[in-house]
Amino acid sequence: MKNNILIIGGGPAGLEASAQLQRMGYNVILIEKDSSLGGHLAKWDRLFPDGVPADEVLSGLIRSTEGVKLFTETEIRAINRLEKSYNVRLTNGITVLSDAVLIASGFDLFNAVKKEEYGYGIYDRVITNADLEAYFKTGSDKRIDHPKRIGFVHCVGSRDEKSGCRSCSKVCCATAVKQAIEVKEAFPDAEVFCFYMDLRLFGRHYEDLYLKAQKEYGIRFIRGRVAEVSENLDGTLIVKAEDTVASKPLKATLDLLVLMSGMRPSASGKAVGDLLEMTVEEDGYFAVRSGIAAGQRSLLPGLFLAGTATGPKTLPETLADARAAAVEIDRYLTEIFPDARNYKQLVRERW
Amino acid sequence: MTPLNYILAVQAADPEVIDRIPSGYSHFVIPFTIGITFFLCWIGVGCVRLLAAIPRTDRLRFWKSLFIPKNIVKNLKDLFGDCLFHVKIWQRKPLLGYMHSAIAFGWFMIILLGHIEVALFVPARLNVTRGGLFYPIFYRYFVWMNPGHTTLRGSFFFFLMDFFLLYILTGIALAVFKRFRSIVLGMRHTTKPSLADRIALYSLWMIFPMRLLAESFTADLSGGSFLTVGVNHLWHFLFGEKLLFTPFWWAYSICLGLFFVAMPFSRYMHILTEVLWILLRNAGIKPHHPRKGVAEAEIYACSSCGLCLDACPMNVQKKNLKYSSVYFIRFLRRHNEKKINAIADKCLMCDKCHALCPVGVDAPALRRAQRITVNNSLPYEYSYLALAGTAGAAAGLRPYSAAAERGWTRPGPDSCPADTVVPEVLYFAGCMTHLTPRIIKAVEKVFKAAGVDYAFADREGGICCGRPLMLAGKTEAAAKVIEANKRMIEESGCKTLVLSCPICYKVFKEEYHFEGIKVVHYTQFINDLIASGKLQVSKSDEKIVYHDPCELGRGSNVYIEPRAALDKVGTLVKAAKEYDESVCCGGSLGSLTLDNRDRAKITEASLDNLLVNDPDTIVTACPLCLKTFSETVSNSKHLLTDVKVKDFAEMI
Repeated sequence: MKNNILIIGGGPAGLEASAQLQRMGYNVILIEKDSSLGGHLAKWDRLFPDGVPADEVLSGLIRSTEGVKLFTETEIRAINRLEKSYNVRLTNGITVLSDAVLIASGFDLFNAVKKEEYGYGIYDRVITNADLEAYFKTGSDKRIDHPKRIGFVHCVGSRDEKSGCRSCSKVCCATAVKQAIEVKEAFPDAEVFCFYMDLRLFGRHYEDLYLKAQKEYGIRFIRGRVAEVSENLDGTLIVKAEDTVASKPLKATLDLLVLMSGMRPSASGKAVGDLLEMTVEEDGYFAVRSGIAAGQRSLLPGLFLAGTATGPKTLPETLADARAAAVEIDRYLTEIFPDARNYKQLVRERW
Repeated sequence: MTPLNYILAVQAADPEVIDRIPSGYSHFVIPFTIGITFFLCWIGVGCVRLLAAIPRTDRLRFWKSLFIPKNIVKNLKDLFGDCLFHVKIWQRKPLLGYMHSAIAFGWFMIILLGHIEVALFVPARLNVTRGGLFYPIFYRYFVWMNPGHTTLRGSFFFFLMDFFLLYILTGIALAVFKRFRSIVLGMRHTTKPSLADRIALYSLWMIFPMRLLAESFTADLSGGSFLTVGVNHLWHFLFGEKLLFTPFWWAYSICLGLFFVAMPFSRYMHILTEVLWILLRNAGIKPHHPRKGVAEAEIYACSSCGLCLDACPMNVQKKNLKYSSVYFIRFLRRHNEKKINAIADKCLMCDKCHALCPVGVDAPALRRAQRITVNNSLPYEYSYLALAGTAGAAAGLRPYSAAAERGWTRPGPDSCPADTVVPEVLYFAGCMTHLTPRIIKAVEKVFKAAGVDYAFADREGGICCGRPLMLAGKTEAAAKVIEANKRMIEESGCKTLVLSCPICYKVFKEEYHFEGIKVVHYTQFINDLIASGKLQVSKSDEKIVYHDPCELGRGSNVYIEPRAALDKVGTLVKAAKEYDESVCCGGSLGSLTLDNRDRAKITEASLDNLLVNDPDTIVTACPLCLKTFSETVSNSKHLLTDVKVKDFAEMI
């Protein structure tokens, strides 16, 4: 008998894990709350560090999930743990008895409206990283009209205790550098500034991207947080910041300001977590059995986690995490789950 | 000693009361006499020292205030209201109010009536050389009622004495009960008593039961009313004809003596210090030092009642109890510098402990005074002050430097250069409002709709109003900032200064001392615009809850105007606690050291307080509250409520 595995979330992590588990021969059921798959990836144009089109990566992921039972526009109505399995009622009326559940609920982008001093939603020419990607994808955004001076604000809703987001979102530094280059390509005459606290360009080729941005594109990096933004009568923006290298306050007039919204735990993921009374750590992301040795196991037996449900990750990290989760699920379903007599003891020893 | 002393025969002249013991003395009075003597010496020396530490001008003001009729009335009102009846506690927690006033007012009446009785029946004994110190206290021991000659007047006093004794005993019973189940009396947290507090507390508890015992044992000799005579019959029933009463008078005296010896070292010092503090407070004298002079009166006037524990917004977390005002004051008393500084810096300065304090101890002011001792002397950079002028010029106001050359006068509208404006109204947004640009947008929209002739003083940015510096204890730096802003504003020639930040409003109103310029908060200004018909608004069904910002409500006493205006645009619903009981949003810049996570807890509690009646919208009139609430309202716990957070001007 093939074990049922329910995967919650049709973003990169959910897709990758579905594909792997399907290949292993399990009966995979993937649910996604939106009408289409891909999560944030579907809204992105190109990916750092190489500028690969996001569509390409996503369609590759979707192609490999052939055979997976997919329900879009579906959420969880109720979920409860039986002796070993999970009984899940879906909003489309179907009930699934699942031997393992993988939560790949992903993240929400920090709501930049909350950082009111930056004026998102108040001033016309303040946009977010997601808005800019949408512009690259569609080529139209009323707010972007041949800007001559463009600013990027790093760490909006990341590493900011005041807005309740202490952790680093990992991806925004590289995204900002990538987007700065892209915007410079789109508007070659424009001056581009990046306001950063410090740059965390840790991944392979990320540093190259950063150097290229400076040398080839003339993007100016200013170390200092933006304090506040105000609007001139003509709609241009006045940005007040501190240049901590020069130890001086700084005031710049810009035509466009891009806020690098960070990652926050996803609200719909939290709703699922609440149904299962899952432990959430102080940062809002789900707790794992062990951050080092068992990063894909939740505190409940048979319940697995993958991707940014357990904290900010880059796309390659998310995919690797999903594969790891698939292996963990396979191990659980072959080593622990079938042994009905010793199940409890095995869970104690090996979960 | 023989327990009954009938050496005096019934006399023909028949006085109602007869001095049973001609010497007017018995050994049992010694503990009490020692205690009260020690206490009176202590308080005498203390008063002299305290008054000596007050600056001369303040001292003169204090003496003068005692003779100003208006002040006398206020003093009397406050002394009776705060010290004896505890009106402020009654208003909030009736049972607790009853407890405190039973003990305070009851005891006061017993002492007063005791002295009146002596004055009426054995007036000679009021003389200190003839036992005046203790005789009225132990009056019942020393006298013998002439049976059959009791007048109505005598019975009346007997009744009153018994009545007030019973009144106190009920208060004591509640106090004992409160030690175990304080929540019944409306207190979630109570103060942890120190050793001296415990000694004084337990002796205080014992004083009145002992008095009842002592007086009831002698009630057949010295008379009594429903309580003492009733209990006396019980003793006779239990112990027979002869009653041994002296031990109870000893116990009563010992309890009193113990209490008075412990009193100066315990919280009960407040009983008398309160009087001095209220007089000083009503004379309008402010503390200059966190521990000396007026501050000392304040510190000793604190009764450690612990009402500030539940009031303090930090105490949503039990670990923060130690930062409450009551402990701050206790450590000030003990000169514990390290703890004092930590506690002084932690406070949000929301002023709620001050607003709710039964005797009006201004602990936030003491914390500020403490911060001054540490922070005022730290170096400070003033180069940015010139920005006040350049910002003013950018807003089209008269240039700042020209003003300085003219020698600091306020010229009329005609004497200004052609390219500058002399607005009727000057709007000063302040730093915090600049961090919440939607307030600026909304305010400007309202001004335009009402056709207000205004200039925006710090559109291009300006300098701080000075209040945050004052809160941090940097008074000198604040004075410099205030001076720079004051010039810019006075030179503008405006008639009205409108502030959208309560922090600015408080300092502009209290510290700038403008002449001829009206300082108003935008809630007041907009409310006036609506009332005078200049601004048309329409009412909607939106359920609004209004959050009183600390600096506007408790800080500046503006409660009515924002509500009046909001009532015209929506339906106001109540918060669990509002007006002077409103809960700080947690974002206050008053605290120098409070952690963001602790603040988040306060914000959650403050939101819970606002959301009790399911409002659609939370409205506040402070950029800091707005920012704090907006950032939190969609977080974690409040995820499922779709309540909006709006600024006052956005609603109009």
